[in-house]
Amino acid sequence: MTEALEIIQKAPREGATFDVVLACGFTPLHLRTFLRAHLQQRFPSRPVNVSEGLYGDVPGTLVGAARQPVHAIALALEWPDLDPRLGFRSSGVWRAETELHETVDAALARLTDAILALLAHVRIAVSLPTTPLPPLFHTAGWQASTAELLLDEKLSAFAATLARRHGLSLVNLRRLDEESPPASRYDLRSDLLTGLPYTVAHADALAAALGRLLAPTAPKKGVITDLDDTLWDGILGDAGPEGVSWDLASHQHLHGLYQKMLAGLSEQGVLIGVASKNDPDLVDRVFQRPDLLLPRSRVFPLEVHWNAKSGSVARILDTWNIGADSVVFVDDSPMELAEVAAAHPGIQCLRFPKGDYTAGLAMLRELRDLAGKEYVSAEDALRAESIRQSTDFRRQATDGSATETFLAQANARIEADMYASSLGRCRPHGGVADDPRVLELVNKTNQFNLNGIRFTEADWQGRVVRPDAFTAVFSYDDKFGPLGKIAVMQGTRQGARLCIAAWVMSCRAFSRRIEHQCLKLLFERFEAAEIRFEFAPTPRNGPLQQFFADLTGQTPGGPFAITREQFAEHCPPLYHKVVASEEGE
Amino acid sequence: MNDVDARLLRCFRVVFPNVAETDLRTASQDSMETWDSVATITLANVIEDEFHRPVDFERLDELTSFDRFREYLAETDAP
Repeated sequence: MTEALEIIQKAPREGATFDVVLACGFTPLHLRTFLRAHLQQRFPSRPVNVSEGLYGDVPGTLVGAARQPVHAIALALEWPDLDPRLGFRSSGVWRAETELHETVDAALARLTDAILALLAHVRIAVSLPTTPLPPLFHTAGWQASTAELLLDEKLSAFAATLARRHGLSLVNLRRLDEESPPASRYDLRSDLLTGLPYTVAHADALAAALGRLLAPTAPKKGVITDLDDTLWDGILGDAGPEGVSWDLASHQHLHGLYQKMLAGLSEQGVLIGVASKNDPDLVDRVFQRPDLLLPRSRVFPLEVHWNAKSGSVARILDTWNIGADSVVFVDDSPMELAEVAAAHPGIQCLRFPKGDYTAGLAMLRELRDLAGKEYVSAEDALRAESIRQSTDFRRQATDGSATETFLAQANARIEADMYASSLGRCRPHGGVADDPRVLELVNKTNQFNLNGIRFTEADWQGRVVRPDAFTAVFSYDDKFGPLGKIAVMQGTRQGARLCIAAWVMSCRAFSRRIEHQCLKLLFERFEAAEIRFEFAPTPRNGPLQQFFADLTGQTPGGPFAITREQFAEHCPPLYHKVVASEEGE
Repeated sequence: MNDVDARLLRCFRVVFPNVAETDLRTASQDSMETWDSVATITLANVIEDEFHRPVDFERLDELTSFDRFREYLAETDAP
């Protein structure tokens, strides 16, 4: 508690605030303090405000929150929110068990309506009841009662409905069980005397869980793995391609589980690469084995040779075009891990604990936590293949004088979705404002990013629905395959002048002149005479700085503008087929 | 200032960071707008942390000043 208060005291006093409503039916007390402290640690440069709602009226608090300019809502449900008689503070009783179910059904329906009405506006984190039910039902405590099981069933259905909605996430109660043992959560003294049902430790654990959901850490984008004694058991050079193993029969299934985990991560859009000191021919032969659980097609690139692994990791990062801090490196050798960590600050290194099942399970869970994402998009399924295609593309596109011919023959197609009230129609919710891929792209992109500014859902919603706002989302495909949605431009229109506040493009889309086409489309579609960029140099947006330098003849130091004539003069030939669509209501 | 006073003052400083240290020693619910029932409970929890012993929540109504907390700690100190 003391530490939480000290974190709050050290919070910045100035800057854009992060405003959260804590919706709970009990007196929030320490839960509020801890939630503020955990969020403050996640937003070190922003003052975090946590306001509380109405005692005993969670739906009322949620309805009220819809009228406030808040960024997020933390909803901590407890049994009395479903029926006050399920709490220790109530002296009411039921005439019949059916009465309990009717009350709970009505309460959950009211909560569902209130939550869904809010979802278009803010991020919501929900925890289902975490304290034990009072000993109310007819069975002994060690026997599950019908009433309790039916309550669980209703809550599960309620949670499953909510979990499908973008912008809402639920606390994993099984994980919370590990972090805050159920028997140590409820404090009857505090509940009866102050209205807070939680022990201090449980309030802290629950606040941490809600904070993680409201301000999630960026998931890792790639995993680079060693092979011998990591992806499989055995040294390939000694055992040969048929001698390495990863199955139950050979008691090496920990390696099989790891392969299965990597295959799953790959399907969810995480890039998988290999850095191994090995014989490439032998490695090829293992990857041809039909019993390998990680298909060869899911792995790119493979760096297999006898040179230092730090060099392999550098080349893989270059191919993926992402930073070391977005990657996990897994190896069984502490020495290799140390060598890679020293050469690539920020990379997350995990040791594969060969033969240690407890540590193995912990490592698999850590890998899942590091790479876990809230949802899987269509672009995630394309990512690995499009990286492979991009490598081929870049290799051919940079082949000297053949560049123009190559680009002209790439059969490139750009689909531009424009959203703007000034186009005559406006759809504040349901279009670009609600597409999770758009905000994900804006918040994850570093290298081609106009100013590095990140947005919360609420910030973004407010920005795109402004009357003078426009947003353009660009998708790309060519003969090498589709890249999906790869660029977003967001800004405002003032007569013949456009002002771009956010512009990002995935690094997978470099070298295709897509950025030129984006600008050309904006000049044409809005009949703009000038485009102003709210540009700010960042340590990582070098590629965009270079693009602007090529376009204007100098690297800008801050916001600047280019005219239509300037752009036309410096724009290289563009070969894309463009399909534009506009959306609103 | 004895050890108990110094530790109690540290607790008050955590809960009321914007109050001057000299004022904290004479602080009471009546003299401070920011000292409400939530602050009392928070103080009790911080004191439980600091002194590693439970505060009797039944007696929170009595704990309305720095002096009262000090007296309570002296009274409930294990022999």
